[in-house]
Amino acid sequence: MHGRLKVRTTEEQKLIKEKKQQEKLKAYRQGFQQILSTRHEVPYNQTSFAICSQLLIANPDISTLWNYRKEVILQEIETSDKSNEEELGKFMTSEIKLTEQCLLANPKSYGSWYHRFWVLDRHPKPDWNGEFALCSLYLMKDDRNFHCWDYRRLILEKIGIDLDAERKFSTERININFSNYSSWHYRSTLKQLNQESLDEEINLVQNAVFTDPADSSAWFYLRWILSSQDVTKKHKEDMLCKLESLQELDPDCKWIYIAKSWLTKGVRDGNSVAADGDCFRTLIQIDPLRKGHYNDCLNNID
Amino acid sequence: MATSMVNEVKGDDSVPKELLLEKHVSFLREYGQNEDNFEYGITDYLRMSGVYWGLTALDLMGKLKELPENEIVEFVQKCQDPESGGISGCINHDPHLLHTVSAIQVLCIYDRLDAINVEGVIKYVKSLQKDDGSFTGDKWGEVDTRFSFCAVLTLSLLKRMDAIDVDKAVEFVESCMNFDGGFGSRPLSESHAGLIYCCVGFLSITQRLDIIKRDTLAWWLCERQLPSGGLNGRPEKLPDVCYSWWVLSSLSMLGRLHWIDFAALEKFIVSCQDSETGGFSDRPGDITDPYHTLFGLAALSLMGNGALKRVNPTYCMPQEVIDKLELKPQILN
Ligand SMILES: [Zn+2]
Repeated sequence: MHGRLKVRTTEEQKLIKEKKQQEKLKAYRQGFQQILSTRHEVPYNQTSFAICSQLLIANPDISTLWNYRKEVILQEIETSDKSNEEELGKFMTSEIKLTEQCLLANPKSYGSWYHRFWVLDRHPKPDWNGEFALCSLYLMKDDRNFHCWDYRRLILEKIGIDLDAERKFSTERININFSNYSSWHYRSTLKQLNQESLDEEINLVQNAVFTDPADSSAWFYLRWILSSQDVTKKHKEDMLCKLESLQELDPDCKWIYIAKSWLTKGVRDGNSVAADGDCFRTLIQIDPLRKGHYNDCLNNID
Repeated sequence: MATSMVNEVKGDDSVPKELLLEKHVSFLREYGQNEDNFEYGITDYLRMSGVYWGLTALDLMGKLKELPENEIVEFVQKCQDPESGGISGCINHDPHLLHTVSAIQVLCIYDRLDAINVEGVIKYVKSLQKDDGSFTGDKWGEVDTRFSFCAVLTLSLLKRMDAIDVDKAVEFVESCMNFDGGFGSRPLSESHAGLIYCCVGFLSITQRLDIIKRDTLAWWLCERQLPSGGLNGRPEKLPDVCYSWWVLSSLSMLGRLHWIDFAALEKFIVSCQDSETGGFSDRPGDITDPYHTLFGLAALSLMGNGALKRVNPTYCMPQEVIDKLELKPQILN
């Protein structure tokens, strides 16, 4: 349903496509029926199990098919003992391979991610560390996939989180790509904002916004940092000063105006009230889509 | 600067500029008529939600009668699992909370709750709450705030919120709140407009919008609007019609609907119609489907489009249905 471009085709191409689609639909229906009619067999029906893999690779969102596999796996676990643990391990590992195939075809499938974790969690010899490395590797490829970030957390619950290592990982991800909101988010979950951490965080954000002031990610993080009790008047004055010089380089950047309004908030002298007013009036001009918001801000000043 | 340019779309001059209601009615009416249509046949596993999308969209256009009521009610009946009480996406598939909620929404629109075993549904939802207050989507254990929303949506429509531990459920959703004021699928998961809608909707039903950092979240949400007028679901992502609904309805519950530029958003949504087939797609020029058709129309309704019935932002159902049920989800001024 997402990102499928409508393409114009000739009548002939259309017919070929329709024929292929009808074959696929028929295969899906027949396959599903086959699985259904053998679903409760003990031991499990190997033909059905193999068909199920094929159907899931084509569409990993059919949850009933994953459920069938889980039933089979539970059955296998129940009927195995110490003597054939190795065999069971192999069986489970091939199941993990299947989820890998599904995820390569569709990295955003809830069902595949969950099944992978579910299987590993029942594996006689789960390789959580290998899984963790794979997860890091995958995040290098697509660092916005929230399924993968969520999965990372599940694994960390198993192997124990090394906060310093994770913080380092987030710093690396952010330094590679400042506009990676997911990494900023991840960082926020690792940090308690306090006097010790504040300077480092402020530095990181400043680096980011100076590199690309138009990118929104770091500005959201800045707003969060500024909500900390430990932000001092000095912090604010320093940053205000830096933002003034950034504004000279990039006078039309809305984020700088917005950030300045956060920094002057709470400082209630006549000058700052006037400055805030100017700030929001400018924002209405340069960012008219959000004038409703800025108008509310203006009304809140007086 | 470069990043904001990449993540935008341009509708060319050929995109529609008017709302094509009649086209959408026939699109939705015909969508389910040919069993052997590939798209329809291959998505059978989410049919129950599909029925909810199509039916609600038609109802918002005042065309509820275009679909065969008895056939649909019978279909819902057949999808209820007598053992667990849960409802599946289609016959021969396993029950799931996502489809249970759709089924209850459909039956409420028809005022036909008597057609199924309501006690069974209540038992099912109750069985999926965990000790920490969270909900799993089915008996296999996946936890997600979407399921918390589905649970209270279902139970509130059935007037049986007493069946679950609401305080614990709220506690769990609260634990999913992030640095930006948004919500993700589990504790510490990144904020995402779809999940924000689920969590804000959950808190609207449970009358606990007070726990939200209102202006922090509303600001994040209004920043989803892009120069094309469309809304995205996370920073630096593409706009999409379904996110228009999730962001807009959340802002509506937070009393900050006016933080979005209606004219620009309307232009974007209208440009996502297909003037030949009818229906809305995620972005201009893509293939249309009932899902984006519902959320496109619902967003237009929330912005006060006079050709459509008023939609309730929490339930994504016609306001008149919610009024008839005497439900009063919390909405901030
Ligand atoms: Zn969408």
